[in-house]
Amino acid sequence: MEALANNFQVLFQGLALGSIYALVALGFVLIIRATNVVNFAQGDFAMLGAYLMVAFLVGAGLPYWISFLLALVAMGVFGLVFNYGVYYPLRHRGFLPVIISTLGASIFLQNSVLAIFGAQPKRLDNVIQGGIHIGSVFLDSQYLVILAVTMVMVAFQYFFFEHTLLGKKLQATSQDKDMARLLGIPVALMIAITFIYSSMLGGLAGVLVGPVLFVSIGMGSIIALKAFAATIIGGFGDVKGAIVGGIFIGVVESFAAYYISVPYKDAYAFLMLFLVLIFRPQGFFGERVSEKA
Amino acid sequence: MRNSLWGALAAGAAASFIGLSAIAADTVKIGLIAEITGPNAEAGTYTINGARLAVEDINRKGGILGKQVELVIEDNQSTNPGTVLAFSKLGGNKDIPAIIGPIRSTQIQAASPSIAKLGIPTMIGGTDPSLTKVNNRWVFRCRPNDLYSSKVIANFGVNKLKLKKWVIVHSTDAFGSGGAKALGDALKDNGVEPVLVQGYTNNSQDFTPVVLAIKKSGADVIGTYMTNSQDLGIFAKQLRQLGVTATWIGSPSIVTDTAMKLAGDSLYGTYGIADFNPDANAAAKSYAIAYRAKYKLEPDVYSSWAFDAMHVIATALNTAKSHKAEDIRKAIVGIKGWKGVEGTYDFDDNGDGLRGYNIVKNDAGKVKYVEHIDFNK
Repeated sequence: MEALANNFQVLFQGLALGSIYALVALGFVLIIRATNVVNFAQGDFAMLGAYLMVAFLVGAGLPYWISFLLALVAMGVFGLVFNYGVYYPLRHRGFLPVIISTLGASIFLQNSVLAIFGAQPKRLDNVIQGGIHIGSVFLDSQYLVILAVTMVMVAFQYFFFEHTLLGKKLQATSQDKDMARLLGIPVALMIAITFIYSSMLGGLAGVLVGPVLFVSIGMGSIIALKAFAATIIGGFGDVKGAIVGGIFIGVVESFAAYYISVPYKDAYAFLMLFLVLIFRPQGFFGERVSEKA
Repeated sequence: MRNSLWGALAAGAAASFIGLSAIAADTVKIGLIAEITGPNAEAGTYTINGARLAVEDINRKGGILGKQVELVIEDNQSTNPGTVLAFSKLGGNKDIPAIIGPIRSTQIQAASPSIAKLGIPTMIGGTDPSLTKVNNRWVFRCRPNDLYSSKVIANFGVNKLKLKKWVIVHSTDAFGSGGAKALGDALKDNGVEPVLVQGYTNNSQDFTPVVLAIKKSGADVIGTYMTNSQDLGIFAKQLRQLGVTATWIGSPSIVTDTAMKLAGDSLYGTYGIADFNPDANAAAKSYAIAYRAKYKLEPDVYSSWAFDAMHVIATALNTAKSHKAEDIRKAIVGIKGWKGVEGTYDFDDNGDGLRGYNIVKNDAGKVKYVEHIDFNK
């Protein structure tokens, strides 16, 4: 009975942290699909979102939902600035200069936040205080919120891309820019929208995970590393893959830490990555590169 | 007209220069290296506050060998190279018989060769045990070193709280594994074998497996060496959420302002160790009153150790009745049973003055003094 309860507890933690990886991985994938580059500042979007939440909620003393909306809107604006400052000027220069540019943006963001907020990590309170006790199992309310929001976001994602005109235009842009342009789709605008959406998604992940991991300069880099592994495991550039990959990594590392060894917890995500690259290089849902051409 | 103006100015400058040096000859100059700029500038301000308070105290009681004391402050920019530079600046001033150095072990490590070369007695606040064991006769530590933290945790838990089922939780970095090993050894000296020693890497996002392992072990006391306050906060929260009620005695990070802010009520009732506490002894109490009155701030370890260091220098110079480095060293090593703010100083030949820590308790978010545990050489 106790073993069952412990396993359930470990599964719950894994699912919740996996959801955060999935949200950040989703941001990675959308940008990869739209621009063919990996945005190495994606984790810092989460960090920035969490600090904005701290600034509005704790600093300015605004109510939770207003702070939450303001943080998301600010992240949207930031996504637009990021698009025009980091990606747009280099869009014709191949993928390497853009990747270096996102790396530079990541360093810039971390140091700007350090200069403004200082090195001390900050505390954010749960959306709903407390949690649920079932026998010896404890379900933290914030983890439940994370799971619920991730499910809603996955559903929204599906509806938005498959059933709205804007979603279809975004899909067309990611599949074939020249063709999309010929069909009269404003490609530059679509890419800008992708950055805005990815930035808000990253910010959302940060706001959600802030109460659990606390808000610190390095929080984004830790999540992004796992999320990046998730995008590769799931299938590079595949939306379903990002979500499944993120949750897969969360659950595997949680169980491996419980059953095998805690200090090697971070290694399991990358062990999974190696195994997938050896036995299924295209990832869970990815198409073979040869077929893509 | 113009010439005479310049002449007057030059004469004035010369006069004031002579005036200044005349005053300078009448004071005893003590060097102070502090973090005035850079990321630790806040700590540097406190260090200067503590040293200044000591200087006022000493001057009021007649100064050193009948002369008033004057601090010569150098900034080290919170960096290692800055510290080396500050030492060479102060070392160039032949009027300075002793220096109060930095509180950070890494800065002292960087400057140790310079200190050895200069041969000026230097007070240090870094707690890395090796600092006083690198064949440098001129460093003297005015804080307990890390060897004693594990001894104090083990002694307090086993002998005072009578708890025998120990779990050690530690970060796998140099500080954490070193501390965990020392704590394991200290427990063995007290006849206790820990039921579980659990490491974790810094920036762990989830401590559930650790907490479940502690639960399973049935431990009644947890000793920790945790480096990051985020890790400490997450662990504290999950420990309480999953219903572990074991007593917790942590290394100094558990009573830092940041950790207590992050973890909130999850840390209530836990014990920690601290080398300075305003209620620890009579000297600390009167120091805290004077410090609060002068600066309108809460005193902390950054100021308290500098206050003690300045007094140790004054005591040594008064005993030595000389400014010669060898005489000062002999006088410092001869200090036995001197009651400072951080505890009772008994200097050994290595230059270590203190061998104990205060046990403090997190009493609903306030740090309360419990007791002081000292060890003999």
